Amino acid sequence: MANQIDKEFISRGLKRCSTSKFILWMAPWVALLIFGLYSAGLCLVKGLNQTNMDNRFAFGLWIFLDLTVIALGAGAFFTGFLVYILKLHELRAVINSAVVIGLVCYSGAVCVLAVDVGQPLRAWFTFWYPNVHSMLTEVTFCITCYLTVLAIEYLPIVLKNRRLREIPAFLVFEFQLHKLTYLLAGVGTFLSFFHQGSLGGLYGVLRGRPFAFREGFFVWPSTFFLFIISAAAVGPSFILLTTWLVQKITRKRLVRVEVLRLLGRISGLMLAVYVLAKTVDTLIWINRTSPERGFPASQYYSWNPFGTWILFAEIVVFGLLPALVLLTPRLRARTGWLVAAAAMACGGVALNRFVMTVQTLALPTLSFDRFLSYTPSWQETGTFLAVVAYGVLVYSFSFRYFRLFPEERDLQAAAPPPDKREEEPILAGRY
Amino acid sequence: MLPWIYGFSWNTGHIVFLGAFYTVLVIVGTTVVSALWRSRRSLRHQETEEIRWHADFHDLPAADRVCRHVLTGEFKKRQCPHAFDCRECDIHAKLIESHPLTVIANSDEDVFGMDFPLDRYYHRGHTWARLEDDGTVTVGLDDLGRRLLGSPDSLELPLPGERLVANGTAFNIRKRGAKVRVLSPIDGEVLAVDGPAGEWRLRIKPDSTDERSFRHLLRGPEVKPWLMREMERLQLALTAEGAAPTLADGGVPVSDISASYPGTDWDAVCGKMFLEG
Repeated sequence: MANQIDKEFISRGLKRCSTSKFILWMAPWVALLIFGLYSAGLCLVKGLNQTNMDNRFAFGLWIFLDLTVIALGAGAFFTGFLVYILKLHELRAVINSAVVIGLVCYSGAVCVLAVDVGQPLRAWFTFWYPNVHSMLTEVTFCITCYLTVLAIEYLPIVLKNRRLREIPAFLVFEFQLHKLTYLLAGVGTFLSFFHQGSLGGLYGVLRGRPFAFREGFFVWPSTFFLFIISAAAVGPSFILLTTWLVQKITRKRLVRVEVLRLLGRISGLMLAVYVLAKTVDTLIWINRTSPERGFPASQYYSWNPFGTWILFAEIVVFGLLPALVLLTPRLRARTGWLVAAAAMACGGVALNRFVMTVQTLALPTLSFDRFLSYTPSWQETGTFLAVVAYGVLVYSFSFRYFRLFPEERDLQAAAPPPDKREEEPILAGRY
Repeated sequence: MLPWIYGFSWNTGHIVFLGAFYTVLVIVGTTVVSALWRSRRSLRHQETEEIRWHADFHDLPAADRVCRHVLTGEFKKRQCPHAFDCRECDIHAKLIESHPLTVIANSDEDVFGMDFPLDRYYHRGHTWARLEDDGTVTVGLDDLGRRLLGSPDSLELPLPGERLVANGTAFNIRKRGAKVRVLSPIDGEVLAVDGPAGEWRLRIKPDSTDERSFRHLLRGPEVKPWLMREMERLQLALTAEGAAPTLADGGVPVSDISASYPGTDWDAVCGKMFLEG
C-alpha cells in the first residue's frame, strides 16, 4: 500500500528503488542530521564556547565550509547563465540538478552562518541595522536575495511532481513561472557575481593580515575577482561530479556523456583563466604587496604544516593540472580522467578557501604573536556534518520525486538525440 | 539597506549598491507577481487543459515528438514545434497544398491485424474522430488504444455539456494502477456518451467542421506509417530496460495486451503510448 502511494509521486517512466530501500538509504543521513542539529542547538543555546574558536581564531571550520559550498554551489548560477542567457541548450539536461545543488549549498551555508552569528531572534538586525562599511553586508544581502531566487527556481521543479501537477493551480503556476525563469537566471547571475566577489574581497581588505591582503581595482581587491572566476570554474565541475556520482549510485544513465564533457570543457576553460589570474596575483603579492608591508612572502611558508607545498598544490596540482586535463579533448573523452579532473578542481577550490580562512588566521602578524593552531570541536564538526546530511537528504528526495534530469527517460528508451541539421524536406509526396 | 541608518551617506558607492539591490528586489517581486497574475488569468480563461498538454508535450521523449511528416518520410528528422497542432504549422499547410492526401472512402487499413477504417481522422494519442452527416463528430478509442487498455478497472467519462479541447482530456481510464488521460482529437461540446458494449464513444458538437479544424489529425495514407511507428514504440515500451525489442514480426496484438505482460510497468507503457508526460 505504502509502495503504491509512494509510486504515484514518482514521475512516470522513471525507475526508482523500492520505498523500503529508499528509507534504508535515508535513515543514516537522518541520524547524522539529528546529531548535527543537536550540535548546532548546543552552540545556539550555550553560545560559541561550545566551539574551539576564540577572539583570535574567529574563522574556523564553519566559515571554511560556507566559502567552499558557496563556491561549489556556483554551478547553479553559472549553468543558469549559460542556459538562459547564453542559450547553451545542451546544459538543460543538468539545470534542474544544478538548481537543487545551488539551493542545498546556499541554504546550508546560511544555516551554518546563522549558528555562527548566533542570537537567531535578532537575525533581522543584519537587514535593519546593516553596517554600510562592511563587505559582509553585501554578502548578507546578496546571499539572502539569491537564496530567495533559488527557492523560487526550485518551486517549478517541485510543482512538476506528478501528483502536485494534477492540481490545476499548481500546474498553471509552474507553467507560467517557468516561462519567466530567464529573468530569475539573470538576477541570480548578477547576485552571485557580487557575493562570490564580496566573499573574496572580505579577505583582500584585511590590512592587518598581510598574508591575505591584496591590491586591486577601485574598492575591490584582486581576491574579489579571483573568487568569482574560481567559483564559475568549479561550479560546472561540481555538477559534473555529482551527476557522475548519482549515475554510479543509482546505476542509471541520467545525461548524455557529451553533456558531462561540455561541463568539463567549460570548467577547464574557466579554470585556466583562474590559474593564470591567480599566478599573476601571487607574483604581484610576493614581489610587491607583501614586501611593501614589511613581510617577505617566504616567511608565511616557514610555519609548518603550511610550507610552500600548499601554494604549489593550490595553483599547480589542483589548478593547472585539472585545467589541462579538462582542456585536452583526448583526456576529456575518458570518463576516468574527466571525473578525476573535476574532483581535483573542486578539491582545489576547497583548498583555496581553507588557505584564505585558516592559514590567514593561523599565521602570526605582530612581533608578540605566535603561530596559532585550531582543531574544531565535536559540536562544530557535528554542525558541519548536518549540512552534508541535509544536502544528501534534499538531493535524494528531489531525485526520487522530481525530474532532475529531463533526459533520463529518453536515455532509458535509448532514443537518438534530435538533429536539427536534417530538418529540410528530403522527398515530398511519399504518402 | 536603509538610508537613515547610522553611518549612511549619499555617496556614489551607496547609491549604486542601493540602486542594484532595490532593482533586484523589484525584478524578483515582479516576476513572481506576474507569474501569479498570468496563472490566475489562465485559470479564469480555462486554459488548464491546453497548458497541461503543452507541459506534457515538452516532457515527451524527443523520439515521441517527431513531426508527422517524418512518419511519412518527407523529413528525415524533425521535431514538431507546435505540440502536434498542425493547424498552426505553415510547413504542414504548404506540404498538404502541394501534395493533397488522397483518401479512398470506405476502405480499411489493416496493420498487424488491427482495424483502422479510413473514413475517419486519427489523433496521435490513439483516439479517432468521424464527421457525421448531421454535423456532429463521433470520438472513440482506436483499435490499438482499445487493446492496450483491454477492460479497464475504472472509467471517468465527460458529462454532456462539458467542453473538450483538442489535445486536452477527453476521458480518464484506470488500468492496472495506471491512470490514463485519453486526449480529445477536436474542440467541441459533449452531446452524449454512448457506443457498443466495451467501447466508449463521445458524440461531440464541434466548434467548426471545416477542413482546417481537422488538419492536425492523421488520415488516409498517413495512418499506416504512423501505426508502424506506434508498433515500434510499443515494442520499445514493452521491452525490458536495455534489452533489444523482441516482439516477433507477423503476430497480431491480443485484445488485452496488458494481460500478456503482467510484470511490465503498465503506467509507463500507457503514459508513452497515450502521450502523457
